[in-house]
Amino acid sequence: MNNKKYRQIRVLVIFFVGIIVAISLLQDSFLLSAVGIITGLLFLVLVRSKTKIRLDEREKTIREKAANLTYAIFAPTIGIGAFLLLFPTHSGLSVFAKGEFYYLESLGMVFAYLALFLIIIYALSYHFLNKKYGGGGNGE
Amino acid sequence: MAAAVMENKLKVFRAKHNLTQEQLAEKIGVSRQTVNAIEANKYLPSLGLAFKTAKLFKTKIEELFIYQGENDED
Repeated sequence: MNNKKYRQIRVLVIFFVGIIVAISLLQDSFLLSAVGIITGLLFLVLVRSKTKIRLDEREKTIREKAANLTYAIFAPTIGIGAFLLLFPTHSGLSVFAKGEFYYLESLGMVFAYLALFLIIIYALSYHFLNKKYGGGGNGE
Repeated sequence: MAAAVMENKLKVFRAKHNLTQEQLAEKIGVSRQTVNAIEANKYLPSLGLAFKTAKLFKTKIEELFIYQGENDED
């Protein structure tokens, strides 16, 4: 089975799972939608295992660049977001002193830890990949 | 970052060998889109793929891919 056939089967499965979820919503049956989704996923995993999916170097390059771009956008966004959410609550502004926006501080903390987690993951993966591809050696 | 500018004769060699993009892709183990992107000079193949393609056409790599310098775009 090739990539094209796999994509066609995937569209069909998504279509049928969509119908099942719609029916389950109409009948107010959570179980039916859960069974439908799980069966659809299992079927797709099974089909995928039988498919020779070709992941070539161009696609790998695209993935690398997409991941890089995602990091470059996401890390500063949540970092600045965390700062903007944490700063006003500690600035002594009267509107925040009443404690009405206490949830913003919690959200800011979540963003801050998320930014930290992201940076740590990046640093660790960079370190290991740099080692794997021969960086940092002193050999002549 | 400077990026290498290349020209290639992949389309010419493919025509000489009577191969479609799909057939060539199958032989060198990439997708048809990749062959199309290389022919359109939108993607530079890796050294391994370039050698593999040159070997398939029984030619030298520099006859298939012609280095033309560098530009400043990434």
